[in-house]
Amino acid sequence: MNERPAATAAPRLVVGIDLGTTNSLAAVRAGKAARVLRDQDGEALIPSVVCFHPDGRTLVGRAAKALRLTFPDRTVFSVKRLVGRSAREVSAGGNRLPYRVVAGERDLPRVRIGDRDLTPEAISALILQQVKATAEQALGQVVREAVVTVPAWFDDAQRQATKDAAALAGLDCLRILNEPTAAALAYGIDGTKDGTALVYDLGGGTFDVSILRIEDGVFRVLSTAGDTALGGDDFDELLAQRILRTLPATEDPFVLQAVRAAAEGLKIRLSDAESAELTLDLGPRGTTTFAVTRGQFEAAIAPMVQRTLDCVQLAVKDAGLRLEQIDDVVLVGGSTRVPLVRARLQALCGKTPHTGVDPDLAVALGAAIQADVLAGNDRSLLLLDVIPLSLGLETLGGAMQKLILRNSTIPTSATEEFSTGVDGQTAVDLAIYQGERELAKDCRLLGHFQLRGLPALPAGLPRIAVTFLVDADGVLRVTAREQRTGVQASIRIVPSYGLTRDEVRRMMQDSIENAAADWHAREAIDVRNKAEAMVRGTRAALQLAELPPDQSFVVHKSVKALARLLADGAPTEALKAACDELSKATATIADEVISSAVTKALREEQGR
Amino acid sequence: MTPLPALDPFTVFGVARSLDLDDRTLERRYLALSRECHPDLLRTQATADCLAVLQRSAEINDAWKVLRDPWQRARALLETASPGVLARNEKLDAAFLADALELAEEVAFAHDDAIARLRTRLATVLDADFAAVRAHVERGEFDAAAKRFHGAHYHRKALADLDKKA
Repeated sequence: MNERPAATAAPRLVVGIDLGTTNSLAAVRAGKAARVLRDQDGEALIPSVVCFHPDGRTLVGRAAKALRLTFPDRTVFSVKRLVGRSAREVSAGGNRLPYRVVAGERDLPRVRIGDRDLTPEAISALILQQVKATAEQALGQVVREAVVTVPAWFDDAQRQATKDAAALAGLDCLRILNEPTAAALAYGIDGTKDGTALVYDLGGGTFDVSILRIEDGVFRVLSTAGDTALGGDDFDELLAQRILRTLPATEDPFVLQAVRAAAEGLKIRLSDAESAELTLDLGPRGTTTFAVTRGQFEAAIAPMVQRTLDCVQLAVKDAGLRLEQIDDVVLVGGSTRVPLVRARLQALCGKTPHTGVDPDLAVALGAAIQADVLAGNDRSLLLLDVIPLSLGLETLGGAMQKLILRNSTIPTSATEEFSTGVDGQTAVDLAIYQGERELAKDCRLLGHFQLRGLPALPAGLPRIAVTFLVDADGVLRVTAREQRTGVQASIRIVPSYGLTRDEVRRMMQDSIENAAADWHAREAIDVRNKAEAMVRGTRAALQLAELPPDQSFVVHKSVKALARLLADGAPTEALKAACDELSKATATIADEVISSAVTKALREEQGR
Repeated sequence: MTPLPALDPFTVFGVARSLDLDDRTLERRYLALSRECHPDLLRTQATADCLAVLQRSAEINDAWKVLRDPWQRARALLETASPGVLARNEKLDAAFLADALELAEEVAFAHDDAIARLRTRLATVLDADFAAVRAHVERGEFDAAAKRFHGAHYHRKALADLDKKA
């Protein structure tokens, strides 16, 4: 099983790419060893920064980073925080960016440079192109295929957007790989040591923690948790805010950028020194001096560090383990250099974390190993990853019905049956959500799936089996089949986030046309459910409460009427009227006895 | 409760329909099946097979999720042995429900030492539940097994609520 295929041709080349918030890089594996790919200057890290120079050039990487003070409003960094999100989410993030982010179509964020609006995917693609070019130069051959890493906590939309960015950069993305899983590969590569590892990955913009079991070359992720909006950038931001307080209030992008750069420098110095100070010369905009001790810095970031530790405990619990059962703690991401982070994690886990692999390089190295597996060059290794967030549908009353639970090993699938709510209905619209909250509105709407071409049958007769399949990238695929006729229903997907394509626009049009029909269908189901619950609840309440005979008679009569309508499959309007009638009958009693009894009975009914 | 996978997990794993499966053997079987069927190791095959490979891999993962948990395993076993048996036996008798309600209240008001004592008690109750389900299954009494399974649901829920408090 551990044999490599006979090497008849040169092994297929697939690179691993760490597309980071602050830095990006590529690595490749030849034989057992993975190595990062460096440019002519010997640098592996490419700053994830793009500068749109006023002279028309587009610069990426170090050249762009060098210009961020010269052209603060034309130099884009941390674009990963915008990928797969809505403009509203981005502005709610509260991080002040020196460049402009505007709301584009469907509230998607666009970076405005002069009179041009760019999608986050397009900017990520520019970074990926630079990584690709660097890799090609280092390898002396063309690179077409890659494994690209994302934070484990990325949802479906963010993964899809990353795949789109790779495609725009001319790369065939063989796999979207979770960063902590990649890092674990980089550490466990000899594969000889079986055990349970905790990977703590604190990057520039995101935090991830994963628990893995390593056994006979199989890397199995047991659980993952994290925060897509928590990272070293936030530590910088805290310091930056303090520095800004020493200056007159300003929105000047130059000042914001200079302060941010200075804050990052301070943070790095505080990893070794007990205190640090700086003098910030802003030229004609003034000068400021700022001093901070490590203690002050640590006090400021302590709540954020605690948030990461809460995630660690959640991940351990979700893995069905206790902290003592973790064999190895692995640190990944530049922000794990902050002493407080290491100290707190060590105190929690009771183990000295491993630091054998450079935390900035581990993710790319691991991606290269997985790339080698996918290229078919190594069959001894296998990664079994999980979906980080539950997937579900919005049901009656706006509840989130989870179909695939978080931390399910992928690929995974679930099948659910649906029907129609009105006679002759040939389309059904399903809203797909991702998240852990009880109400759909608190989860992220991934998109609408519209089932088309259903046979025109009386309401409730079609039986549409919809299968949700999450592939090995953690991306959702949906198929549907009408059970009675065997008709393969066609599915249209309207993503809530991600690239705007012409077909997406067309689909949006379709969904508006069908909105009325879909709305009626949903209302019919809603009303029927409510009516059924009222009948059950009131009947139960009548047995519990002692009512005067005349009131009892009125309520009994109304319940009976409603029950008959339900049994006859009466139209929505009639049901609504009868529900109102029954509400009135119970309301006139205006007695706490019955209302509390109804509430109790209803609660029991729902609790079952 | 999450829906059961379309295929019976015992068939997917090629193991006996039994509640007495060795955890370690099952886990080994899972890893071996994953190596055989995971799309990562089957990429060189024709792309037409891609969806089939994905589905097969999903079946294995989903079957493992069911088989590794004794109660989920019991549920799958009952459903495959006698389809619809769980839905037919949902109604529990009033005396049992009254006990379950009392237990739920006890959980809700438990503090400190009482929590640990209650946990031990619930664990014992659940062991007895499982032993009873197993005994019914062995005698082919699926309706009785399903009833006991539903009853155990209340005990498991009480235990989960207790864990949430801790």
